[in-house]
Amino acid sequence: MNERLAKINDVFQRVFDDDELTIDRSTSAKDVEGWDSLMHVTLLINIEKAFGVKFKSSEVASLKNVGELVDLLDAKLGAA
Amino acid sequence: MNQDELLKSLNALRKDGRSAEALSMLRDSLRRGMLDAEGIDRAGRFIRREFEAGRIDGKPLKILLLGQCTTTWLVSTLTAIAWGHGVSAIVTEGGYDTILHDLSRLEGSASDRPDVVVLVPWSARLIHGTAALAERIDGELAVWRQAWSLVSERLGSRLIQTGYDWVAAGPLGNHLATRREAGAVRAVRSMNEALLQNLPAEAYFIDLDQISGTIGRNTFYDMRRYHWTKQPFSEAGLVALAEHVWAGVRALTTGPKKVLVLDLDNTLWGGVVGETGPLGVALGESPDGEAYLAFQKYVKGLAKRGVVLAVASKNNPADAREPFETNPEMILKLDDIAAFEASWEPKGTTIARIAQTLNLGIDSLVFFDDNPAEREQVRQALAEVAVVEAPEDPAEYARALERGLWFEAVALTEADAERAEQYTVERKRRELQQAFTSMDDYLKSLEMTAEIRDIDAAEMQRVVQLLAKTNQFNLTTRRHTREDVERLLADERSIGMTVRVRDRFGDYGLIAVVMAVPDATSERGTLRIDTWLMSCRVIGRTVEQFTLASLMNRAIDLGYKRIVGEFIPTKKNALVSNLYQDLGFAPLPDRGDGIVRRELDLSRAEPPEHFINVQAQVNIGAAT
Repeated sequence: MNERLAKINDVFQRVFDDDELTIDRSTSAKDVEGWDSLMHVTLLINIEKAFGVKFKSSEVASLKNVGELVDLLDAKLGAA
Repeated sequence: MNQDELLKSLNALRKDGRSAEALSMLRDSLRRGMLDAEGIDRAGRFIRREFEAGRIDGKPLKILLLGQCTTTWLVSTLTAIAWGHGVSAIVTEGGYDTILHDLSRLEGSASDRPDVVVLVPWSARLIHGTAALAERIDGELAVWRQAWSLVSERLGSRLIQTGYDWVAAGPLGNHLATRREAGAVRAVRSMNEALLQNLPAEAYFIDLDQISGTIGRNTFYDMRRYHWTKQPFSEAGLVALAEHVWAGVRALTTGPKKVLVLDLDNTLWGGVVGETGPLGVALGESPDGEAYLAFQKYVKGLAKRGVVLAVASKNNPADAREPFETNPEMILKLDDIAAFEASWEPKGTTIARIAQTLNLGIDSLVFFDDNPAEREQVRQALAEVAVVEAPEDPAEYARALERGLWFEAVALTEADAERAEQYTVERKRRELQQAFTSMDDYLKSLEMTAEIRDIDAAEMQRVVQLLAKTNQFNLTTRRHTREDVERLLADERSIGMTVRVRDRFGDYGLIAVVMAVPDATSERGTLRIDTWLMSCRVIGRTVEQFTLASLMNRAIDLGYKRIVGEFIPTKKNALVSNLYQDLGFAPLPDRGDGIVRRELDLSRAEPPEHFINVQAQVNIGAAT
């Protein structure tokens, strides 16, 4: 797991209150208990805080899985 | 330990089966304000899980949130804030903008009735509607009226109504938006006016405009979240709103906090009075002196609206009192303080004594002290006391105290305004009592006078109120209605009287009611005391002896030979189980009906000794 993905994993563990949660690029909402449309927003707000970025409204709806989230952060911050 | 480590350790404890420990740690962190908005949200979800797993005992308070916007984040935030205030609350929410539908689906049975329903409007329709403003307001109001009646009448739940607010002034610009009917600000203000005029008196109103204005709308709202989820509040906004909802829930359930316990040195004035003397403390005339003065003004205002003030100071008693007596800058006077504790004992001890002296629960106290060590000692010794995290600069004191929302109330009554004064008068009586070695001397020195009145139309409402609510000094606990009282007293040989007492410190008002009727079940000439109740505030002042003496005089005048007293035991009236015995009544045979009867032979009995002068007898005998 690269550093950026590890940091995202930390946020997932906090948000979903599960220390054993492990994600990879293919993880999507159906794989994580409680990842509904509202928790999706909580998740993104915490990702924003963790990485010091701000998502656009258009970006929020289009994310299909963790891989796309990593790509989006790479695009905003430069590849890790 | 930072917030993340804390929450991680809670999860570890939970996995270890040490859930209770985790929950108590969480309560302590919330109480100390150690969690930020994200931490509070996570704490709320942690507590919810514990509820769902059945690991939290006791009957939780049920709060239902119904909004014209999404309320999901408010659920977890409110759960955590209630937990931090020592209350287990199950918070649930309705659907998005389906308030009437959700309410009408609840049956109001014990299992689905919320204790409190919180209504949260959203201003989109009001502001963006095309009809005339008056019509838009009527339309919104019609929905709320239905909701209020479903909540209060059908469910019997308590009600919190949140007001409307605007996020931004809109296309008309900042100042025209308040002047033109099409403006957002004007629409919201008029709408809130209409809500307040129509809201049931027993409901709690949250002024959202006030909350968002205090924090700043740019911080309180997050329009991205609104567009993503129809939830307009930012993380900080959610915490602020949940804190106000919690203050409302508290006001509606246990009532607000009652007592503000204050430190003296560097809290009410600058400097240490034991070192500088009463005139040397900083109060007015310097930047920090002005700040202390302003804080005293704020506290005095709290006292005027019914918050009881107490002092807990580490000082020599005489030093502590001197500024109150001799420093002309002092806004607060000794007369404003209901309990004054100055000593070198730990504050946990003196504050416990203040609660005992005032006969109020520890959990009704708020403690304000500039010294972090004292605050910590009180937190550890008395977990139920609300401890204000006082800022370092006295200029910030009033706002820090206000931010806690400890004294937010549904409404203010005359009784609230008089309460603080009553407690202060009580303190003076106690101090006088301590100065006398003999109880009789003390009672004499009180210079008590009483006024006896026949129960008439003017007294009726108050009498019926006392019949309904007096539990302890109440011999028969018969909850007569107004009609019952009128029927009992219709007989011209009946006696119905009230007693009012005052002493050199103040007026107690109407504090005792006696109703006695000719007894049909005994031999002729018997007067039966159907009802005798008295306020506990005058216990030990010989008011009961005085009342009986007055009743004996009236009975003899009406030609009675004896008085029969009845005692019906309840869970709460053990206080008076021996009253008739103590007053010299002789036992009567048990009739097996649960009533203990005793009689007084009027030809032989002496009126009992008391220390009360008759001031006036109003209307006495007017009915005969």
